[in-house]
Amino acid sequence: MNDTPVRYRMKYSKTGNLRFIGHLDTQVMFERALRRANFPLRYTQGFNKRIRLNLASALPLGFISSAEMLDFWLNLELDVEDIRQKLQNALPAEIRILELRQADNSLPSLQASLVSSEYRITLPALESPKEFKAELDKLLTQTEIPVTRRDKTINYRPLILEHELQSNPHDCFVVKLTLSSAPGANARPDDILELLGIDPADCVIERVRLNFSED
Amino acid sequence: MTGSRRDLIEKILYHVEKPGRYVGGEHNQIVKDWGSVDTKWCLIFPDIYDIGQTNLGLAMLYQILNAEKNILAERSFAPWVDMEEELRKHRIPLFSLESKKPLSGFDILGFTLPYESIYTNVLNILDLAEIPMFTSERTAEDPLVIAGGQACFNPEPVSDFFDAFVIGEGEEVILDISRVYGSWRQAKLPRLDLHLALAKLEGVYVPSFYSVSYHPEGLISEIKTNQPGVPQKITKRIVPVLPPHPTKFLVPNVEIVHDRMSVEIMRGCTRGCRFCHAGMVNRPVRQRDASVIIPTIQEAVNATGYEEVGLLSLSSSDHTEILDLTRQVYDCFHEQKLAFSLPSLRIESFSLDLMDELKELKPGGGFTLAPEAATERMRAVINKPLDDHDFYQTVTKIFEKGWRSLKLYYMIGLPTETMEDVDAILQAGIKVQQIGRKLIGKSVKIHLGIASLIPKPHTPSQWLPVHNPDSIQEKLDYLKAGTRKAGIKMSYNIPDSTLLESWLSRGDRRLNQVVFNAWQRGAKFDAWGERDNLHIWRNAFAEAEIDPDFYAYRERDLEETLPWDHINIGVSKNFLKRDYQWSQQGRTRADCRESCFMCGILDAFGEDRPADGFGYWGCP
Ligand code: SF4
Repeated sequence: MNDTPVRYRMKYSKTGNLRFIGHLDTQVMFERALRRANFPLRYTQGFNKRIRLNLASALPLGFISSAEMLDFWLNLELDVEDIRQKLQNALPAEIRILELRQADNSLPSLQASLVSSEYRITLPALESPKEFKAELDKLLTQTEIPVTRRDKTINYRPLILEHELQSNPHDCFVVKLTLSSAPGANARPDDILELLGIDPADCVIERVRLNFSED
Repeated sequence: MTGSRRDLIEKILYHVEKPGRYVGGEHNQIVKDWGSVDTKWCLIFPDIYDIGQTNLGLAMLYQILNAEKNILAERSFAPWVDMEEELRKHRIPLFSLESKKPLSGFDILGFTLPYESIYTNVLNILDLAEIPMFTSERTAEDPLVIAGGQACFNPEPVSDFFDAFVIGEGEEVILDISRVYGSWRQAKLPRLDLHLALAKLEGVYVPSFYSVSYHPEGLISEIKTNQPGVPQKITKRIVPVLPPHPTKFLVPNVEIVHDRMSVEIMRGCTRGCRFCHAGMVNRPVRQRDASVIIPTIQEAVNATGYEEVGLLSLSSSDHTEILDLTRQVYDCFHEQKLAFSLPSLRIESFSLDLMDELKELKPGGGFTLAPEAATERMRAVINKPLDDHDFYQTVTKIFEKGWRSLKLYYMIGLPTETMEDVDAILQAGIKVQQIGRKLIGKSVKIHLGIASLIPKPHTPSQWLPVHNPDSIQEKLDYLKAGTRKAGIKMSYNIPDSTLLESWLSRGDRRLNQVVFNAWQRGAKFDAWGERDNLHIWRNAFAEAEIDPDFYAYRERDLEETLPWDHINIGVSKNFLKRDYQWSQQGRTRADCRESCFMCGILDAFGEDRPADGFGYWGCP
């Protein structure tokens, strides 16, 4: 057996019912899918042996995504297309593998190099789109946007990197937000919607891109 | 309309804790087209998903039904209180996980009733599903509502809510029921005809065809049929040979209790412990051969990716190939780094040999033993003989093998129990601790788990009174003080928390009203203990003018007609009587695989017994 682990990097989408499955549960789901696919799995060292895998970023409950990233390690180098097929078959249908490639072991972890996330938020039918736009603009002119989560207050303003408001063919409004996802400086789009008086449960929130420092 | 209902469901999911409980979508879930089948089942476990999803019976039935081309089976569970609130607020009738269709749209609702404290949840589910709660109120438009499971061996306390009960094992009868339902619906007959056809199936009990009359002082005078052509006694259903084990288990996407797969290696038990419901109602013993179990595990692991396997049985050590099985398990699965658990090991050093065979695949955590009683006299009363020498030798070996923590289960509230018997439990704990300290050192952890006896129907204990709470409390206090002083951990059920079980498990039909009252007064999730439902139940009894003590604290006369006398588990009442008398005489009965005591099983099922060498039965 080759003792150097082989690293694979995967991009996938998570939709439908699976949006209600949280981060840790998603991790377990991948562990079990990798077992089902019957790969020569790499385990972590130490007392509690687990399958070695690494998710880039926790996707909040209720969000869908077309841009999640995951690293996992095998003991052997296998054909990428073969892995893709076997793993896809072992995964629930609401996870689709979008890209899979071998990655260099020397690359930093996904979490460490994650910089920002882009979200595409489809808003509910608004009574007054104009008003919403005004509210959003007003929010963004502030220099301090305090948001409290788990007893910690952070200033969201510097974490909101880009924003764009579009209307789509169905007359729904779509906001695109690029938010910081750096370690210790992570902003969530649902917090921003709440500041604007919108119930996130009425929106479809999709993560459409993860930006990493090498990119 | 359906579209908007679905949107609404998705919206409310944002507002509940752990929404993954309600969405299905697990790997191996089966979703069929509703137009392509004749009969649509919804299998319901009336507790939350986290508790119910790993139920093995549910998994078996799900696979058996869905294997049929013209049948579909979906699942539903009790919504947790936050979800219930949302459902009621938005007037969304309870739905299935797979298709999110309301339960009222199914043909048959099959409830699993593993224990009594789940009854109010059933009523709540029917209410949330907008289905008439009482059988008598349902019409041909409503689903057929049936139940099966271990609590159904005395179905009387909930007989008004179910059209029919499956008594015994469901694997075969469930397809019979489906078939009967299909022809009834095709013939477009009244609901009564469906009930009649069901009552003729072996192992199916239709309570509305039986009338119960009472003596003025409250005892039952007679249970008899009120319909020609239905049997006087309902004999439970068994499968003579254990059918192929399910392997395509659904793999939950959210963390749940006991999140592992279970493989049943053996059914039934011949030990004959006198308090044990499972040991009596699940006879005869039947086992799966190692040559079947190993490929089953392999297939199931491939299908699920589970990392932990529980090998289920009432007494693992009694599987005739157990040593060889553990060897094979190691050989086949050590590379996949699976963990195995082997519950209910006997107290003998052989159990340690089994653990040795599993090597690093053996379960983590501590070792567990269940002596149940600490004096020889008491062990004879409950028929769980154990030689003290063997016990301490096993304990010594456990510590020698490096286990640092040992949990011992004991029972109190046993017949003829004295403080001496209770003290012996404490002394045993202390002696075990001393052995552990000598071999392992100060870090050794001893844990006593104390349960109080709740006499169950169809066991030799069925005539016994429950001990009164004061005497139980006194014994618990004594043990608590002693264990605290010795630095031994102790866990126990507070006497109040087991009262409900002692009322319902030996209840009769008059308790239907009490169950209904309790539900109406807000009782649900009674099994959870943390919700203080007991005062609700007391009021429910008072409202129905029924004295709960009649069910808990009364010693039954041997000649009394018991509420479940028309349910035949195969083991005869005469056998149970004799065993009860032996218990009073302190006389033990050997494991009946050594010599048959003619408990009645062979009279009831002997003809079904497969020819030698195939599908081993414990009966000689
Ligand atoms: S028939 Fe005999 S061997 Fe079989 S379970 Fe009964 S007593 Fe035991």
